[in-house]
Amino acid sequence: MTALRRVVHEVHSVEFGPATGYHEHHLTVGREQVESLFADPALGAVRPRLASPGESIRIITPLDVVEPRSKGRGGGVFPGFLAPVNRKRGLDTHVLRGAAVLAAGYLPRNQEGLIDMSGPAAQLSPFSRTHNVVIEFDPAEGAPLLEAEQAVRRGLLRLAVALADAAVGSAPDAVEELAAPHRPGTPTGGLPRVGVITNLQTQGAFKDVFVYGASMAGSLPTLFDPAEIEDGAVVAGQYGHPALRNPTYLHQNHPVIAELRARDGHDLHFAGVVLCPEPVEQAGKEHVSAHAAWLCQAAGFDAAIVTKEGAGNADNDLGMKVDALEAAGLTAVALYAEMSGPDGTGPPLVAGPRRGAVVSTGNYDQRLTLPAVERALGGTRLRIIDAEATAAIEVPVAMILGGLSPLGAGRLTCRAEPPAVDLEEVA
Amino acid sequence: MRLVHYVNQFYAGLGGEDAADLGPRVLAGATGPGRLLQQLLGADHQIVATVVCGDNYAASDPSVSAELLGMARAEGAELLIAGPAFGSGRYGLVCARLVAAAQAAGLPAVASMHPDNPGIGEAGAAPVVAAGAVARQMRPTLERLAAAVAKLATGAPLTAADGRVGAAARIGRLVEDRAAKRAVELVVARLAGDRDATEVPVGGFDVVVPAAPVDKAAAAAVALVTEGAVVPFGNPDRLESARATRWLRYPIEGLDGLASGTWESVAGGFATTHANADPNRLLPLDATRELEREGAIGRLHGEFFSTVGNGTTVATAKRFGVEWAAALRKAGVQAAILTAT
Repeated sequence: MTALRRVVHEVHSVEFGPATGYHEHHLTVGREQVESLFADPALGAVRPRLASPGESIRIITPLDVVEPRSKGRGGGVFPGFLAPVNRKRGLDTHVLRGAAVLAAGYLPRNQEGLIDMSGPAAQLSPFSRTHNVVIEFDPAEGAPLLEAEQAVRRGLLRLAVALADAAVGSAPDAVEELAAPHRPGTPTGGLPRVGVITNLQTQGAFKDVFVYGASMAGSLPTLFDPAEIEDGAVVAGQYGHPALRNPTYLHQNHPVIAELRARDGHDLHFAGVVLCPEPVEQAGKEHVSAHAAWLCQAAGFDAAIVTKEGAGNADNDLGMKVDALEAAGLTAVALYAEMSGPDGTGPPLVAGPRRGAVVSTGNYDQRLTLPAVERALGGTRLRIIDAEATAAIEVPVAMILGGLSPLGAGRLTCRAEPPAVDLEEVA
Repeated sequence: MRLVHYVNQFYAGLGGEDAADLGPRVLAGATGPGRLLQQLLGADHQIVATVVCGDNYAASDPSVSAELLGMARAEGAELLIAGPAFGSGRYGLVCARLVAAAQAAGLPAVASMHPDNPGIGEAGAAPVVAAGAVARQMRPTLERLAAAVAKLATGAPLTAADGRVGAAARIGRLVEDRAAKRAVELVVARLAGDRDATEVPVGGFDVVVPAAPVDKAAAAAVALVTEGAVVPFGNPDRLESARATRWLRYPIEGLDGLASGTWESVAGGFATTHANADPNRLLPLDATRELEREGAIGRLHGEFFSTVGNGTTVATAKRFGVEWAAALRKAGVQAAILTAT
């Protein structure tokens, strides 16, 4: 596996201008360039908008979110989409930290979510803290919506590269060296080898995640180079449960990989990354769980943190995988959102592991009261709650994009209060 | 203090499953388990009346709890007791709803049921004290309940020390560290030997034992039920596409199938294109009618039940299950085909 250097250029402000440019933390987005990058027979009008932290803006029906990254003139990010997979890996990757490009609008199976750039929901979405270039779009008349969706994805990836290209010649704010994971058999000085398994949703059109440009449906779990994930080898194309989505941005900045790296050499050895599909059939779930446990053993993991995307189906995949790992003698921890009802008194998990341990990313059903906003992007009406997009609304955390991040990006958890009774004495 | 006790038809001695459709009624004084409860309570508190209702009647319609509460108030209740319902789902659901309604109306109330009773979530913030799983544990259960009633009568809140269960709300909050960092810390703690460390209790999932096969399918009444959100086209009753809070019932008498354009699925969790092209594939009315004509089943029940499973909480789904079972039993149905998505 490969080492990689992250060359960081911070973005502190963004505006439109005649040409794309980056100068002293200020990003200028060339409108005409955006339009040309999204030119596609499946798309009609494309309207770029801007939304920065603290503004009274609500972005509704968000789709994917991408962090601008570039490997310079030769290209190389988003392999499988914008670059060949068979290219030189690693080296330098330029990152526009603090910026994001995202699409917002109607597509089938896009469960309506939102990002508030200010107010109480702003501390729950990772994308309330980024300077966002928001792409509103209309599918071309008569164009199949799946083709429109693919065109939006290509446009987002191209725009992400074009914006980061503008910063390649600038002096970086930071250079971060990312070492490759330790190979099995490397002496650890007694430290445990800990890796991460990331389940990717694989439920067909509008509910798929792409690895090197193709759905992982039907694949077995595979060991994967984290340097390639940094470079956009995993691209999201699934629009279920907004709070339980893993947009491309969060794969590029995979929180569990980052935290494992942060502890590497101190109290653990970062052992690697396994990517897994989330099959929709029981037999597939069993095969994938069994194989993932075997693969982690073969790769010399002592422990694994397991992440998911979505709910229901995905909860079963996660639970079965943790059980399989623990049965194979590994230590496993899963990240789950709880679904215990608005008052938090219902059972927290729909389906979960029978052993291992669970980190809570918050309660899906917890209600939030959000104030009215000045402007809405992505649409004018939230149909799921029958409200104007700019109105004061009460919504569950479930609607906040990335609010219960299954990759662990958020700071929400749940705690029981008062402490549960000891049930032993009742029997 | 004047107490009113709620029990179901069985514990009132009015009959078992055959009497589960009985409507609400009031009996004077203590009845059934109320007699031992009265002994345990002593002279300070009097069970002045017992409100009774059949499980099917009470569980299949949430508005019945208001009616039962009204009857208890008419008897001058100063405190309401419901159960013990042990592990019984319909009975537990009614007890939980009743104490929730009483508490909301300002009448102190306590229910008794097993912590795994599927109705327990309906109690909301009203207190529930633990019962055993089965009626064999009546005496220790009533001892606990009597002590809880005596404490509640003083105005003191019930706590875990009183055997209170079900209301340990898990409250969401922001903490210092993101979940990914906490996951790494949890792994490190477990590897260091703290095998019990976890943020969410692990295990304890229900294993549903399938009911025995229908005795004579050719004589059975069969119902169709679905969590695939099948509704009349246009969704006139506004069923949610996710996070259901209710379920709906629609007549299918005289229909041989569900026509595209007349019926649709509004489910948010899967692509509905194929289901909407032929809604029979989500709710197999066409095939079930054939089985009915062939005599393979006795008759198809005249209405179907529909809700959406996508994002619906376990507590809510369990309640729907209890309500569906009660409504189908009340209608004399022996078997149901549940199509899931």
